[in-house]
This record gives sequence, structure tokens and C-alpha cells, in this order.
Amino acid sequence: MTTLRTHLYDEHVKLGAKIVPFAGWDMPVQYSSVKDEVIAVRKTVGVFDVSHMGEFFVEGPDAEAFVDQLVTNDILAAPIGKAIYSPLCRENGTVIDDLIVYKLRPGRVLICVNASNIEKDYNWIKSKHVGFECSLSNASDRYSLLALQGPRSFEILRPLIAELPDIEYYSVFESSFSGEPVIVARTGYTGEDGFEIFGGHDSIKRLWQKLMALNVTPCGLAARDVLRLEVCYPLYGHELTDEVNPYDAGLAWTVKTAKTKFIGRDALLPKPARYKMIKLILDKGIPREGYPVMNSSNEVIGAITSGTMSVVLNKGIAFARIEIDKAPSNEVFLVDIRQKAYPAQLTKKPFVTGGHK
Amino acid sequence: MTTNIPGNLKYTKEHEWALVEGLTVTVGITDFAQSALGDIVFLEVPEVGTNLKAGATFGVVESIKSVSDLYAPISGEVLAKNTDLEGSPEKINEDAYGAWLIKVKVKDVAEFNNLMTPEQYQEFCNTSH
Repeated sequence: MTTLRTHLYDEHVKLGAKIVPFAGWDMPVQYSSVKDEVIAVRKTVGVFDVSHMGEFFVEGPDAEAFVDQLVTNDILAAPIGKAIYSPLCRENGTVIDDLIVYKLRPGRVLICVNASNIEKDYNWIKSKHVGFECSLSNASDRYSLLALQGPRSFEILRPLIAELPDIEYYSVFESSFSGEPVIVARTGYTGEDGFEIFGGHDSIKRLWQKLMALNVTPCGLAARDVLRLEVCYPLYGHELTDEVNPYDAGLAWTVKTAKTKFIGRDALLPKPARYKMIKLILDKGIPREGYPVMNSSNEVIGAITSGTMSVVLNKGIAFARIEIDKAPSNEVFLVDIRQKAYPAQLTKKPFVTGGHK
Repeated sequence: MTTNIPGNLKYTKEHEWALVEGLTVTVGITDFAQSALGDIVFLEVPEVGTNLKAGATFGVVESIKSVSDLYAPISGEVLAKNTDLEGSPEKINEDAYGAWLIKVKVKDVAEFNNLMTPEQYQEFCNTSH
């Protein structure tokens, strides 16, 4: 399989980015330094090319109702202009993907999905597209996407966009940039205030160049992964997989069992959980995906699903999936790093608190 | 890719450098290696007295997003480890050839023949990446 390139590929190469294959795409993993890129987003502003992600449009009188019964979170209850994060589940409750639903206007919904799952999601949604008065289209090839993230995002973006009100976090607004339509959402994957801007390839390329001219720090996938893990956002393929349900992944809040009808409801109603996601901090050693997690008797009770060195804390941080019936009551955890047991501190709160409102 | 390759050192294919002074060899990672790794945040090297085998792993160096093994350029006993790097492994990024990792007492001088000259290493960097 040949790898795909976003329309900004040449821009990344020009900036000296290190390019790696990711989800079938050649993507920039870092430009200058992961640390500097993370700090830029936490303190000022950075921009990510996330054009590899997928965009589906659902349009017609039943658009909201169709999407509502596809996902576990409540789409109908949210007002127009809101963005809603949700898992997409099978009848048995396992997670196909996690996505964001944008209610653009009555009868027009945008769904943004993970790059690695575009085909799987589209085929699934298409198979369920029966009996609803709305169209479904996969616009992933027609859209580029930038994530402008950090406390200075709004002041940077406002003068560039034709009209951009100070919308709430997790809201969306349709506007234009240099005469071309763009969809501007106050969403992101960093925990900071920020925007995701969906648009045609040429206009998004011009926007990227404009942001570079304004000295916005270009940020790669490595910084994005550190940022999302610091604020404890799950990543499909790690915390979420085809084998787990939202309860296993610590996403109980996204399952609205009060809704009368959605795919997976029957299976999810008893809140079935075989696993528990926990957050661990290590004073010494860096936890990595796959490392075994043990109780105080050195018995393996689970494994790290994502781990890194936190730039903000300067400590090892991780999500771990442990078997729920083996969760130790003394809350003592050890991580096996190269056959050596390192003590890990359990934390209930996110490792870092992002600045979004 | 341009990279700093001092003329007074020997090199390995795993991007370690070795400074040979009599029977003592000082070992570090090259400028090429530190640049490829990015921000180095963790270093694990063996205790003094540990016996190393040429070509075998003797420790790890970790950047924010990756873990890389360190390979012994030469067999022998660890004489010293650089305590300056404990708590500040980023010094390797700042000065790869100043921030040595360990000193080894050489067991078999014949193993020096397995190391690359600066010219060979330059060629290796040019062709392998």
C-alpha cells in the first residue's frame, strides 16, 4: 500500500519536519523539538496539520436523528452549533471509533473520524443508513484540516476569518477564509483553547502559510500525542479498540442510556466493564505501551496502553488498562520496565489541566 | 545530512562513538544519534564493575517518544559512568561528544578493528539514511 500525503506535505518538508508513516499517511512527527512544540501549545500557540482525519456529511431532515441513533452520546439534546464527542459502537457495545459530531445547522451534520478508521466507519454507517431521510457522504478527500491550539489561538485566528464570534468551547461556526468557505470548530486534542478549521485543500494551505508567517509554531504528531495524554484524552488503537466497550475505556460519561434508541444500547445498559482505565505517574522510568502493570505482589494485572514523558510534569505518565476484578484495593501499582519494577502513583485527575474554558 | 564527526574517535553502526586511550575506552552516542532521537529525557547505563560484551546491549536512551538500546562498542569492564548525566540527560543533545556515558577497560584490543574510522562512519551515515 502506498502512503498518502496531505496537501501540506511539501510545506512540512520545507520546514524540515521529520516525516513518519501514520495510519497510511506520511505525516510530520516533529519539526524542531517535541518539547518546544508541546510548550508552544501550552503557553502560546501551535498548529497541527491533521488533514489525514476523515470528514463525513449527513444532510437532510433526519440528519440529527440518524446520527443520534448511531452513537452513544446524545446528539438530539445538543443545540445547533454544538460539537459532541462520542464513541461509535456495535450492537455488542464494542467501539468502532471515537468521533466528534458537529451540528452545523438544522439538517446538516459533520462527523470527524480517525484517519485509521475512515473506511471502517464509513462502511458501518452506510450499512445503517436505511429508513432515514438524509444523505451520507464521505468528504475526506475534499477536506484539509488544521488544528490551531493554545491560549493565543483566538487572537491569531479572529483577524484571518471573515467572521468569527467568540464561540464556546465545543462549538462550531461556518465562516470563510479568503473568500472560501471554512468550518471553524472550537475543538482540539490538546486540552488547551483552540480551533479546528476544515476547508478545501487550497484555502487550508493558504491558511497554513499565513499562520507560518505569523510565527505560529508548527507541531507534529509526537507533540500531539504528549499533549492529549497529559490531559488524559483516549486514543483509538490504544485506550479504545474493537475489543473494548466505552465502560472498559473510562468513557461512561459518553453513554447516554436514557436515550431510548441507539446501536449498542441493549448491550451497554447493564454497564458491562471487564477493564478499568487508570492513570499512573512515575517518578522514575518512562512507561511505554505494552509494559506490564503489576500489583504489590508483582502479579500482572494489566498493561500500559499509552505512555510518555510528560513535558509539563517532567515525569513518566501513562494510561493503563487493568482487569477490573484484579484492581488492587491498596491502590499500589508497579510498572515492569525492562524486567525491573518501578513504583507508579495512581491519580484520579488528569495529569495536566488544560486551559480551555 | 550534515553531522559532526570528530576525527579522533572510532564509531559503530549503532551510532556510538569510542575514544580510545590506551586500554580505556570512553563511550557515547554520536551527534547523528542525538539528533535522530530528539529531546533525550532518560538514560540507563550499567553500574561500575559490570562486564560488557561487544555488540550486546548495555543500556537504553529514551527520548520523549522513543526507546533506543545502547550497544557496547567493545568488550570489557565498566570503569566509570558519567554521573553528570543523572537527572540531566539532555546534556547529550547539547554536546554529544562531551556527554560521555561510560568508560570501559578493554578486554581484547583486537576488537578495535571492528570499529569504524570517522571516514567510514561518515560514509555509513550518508548511505544508511
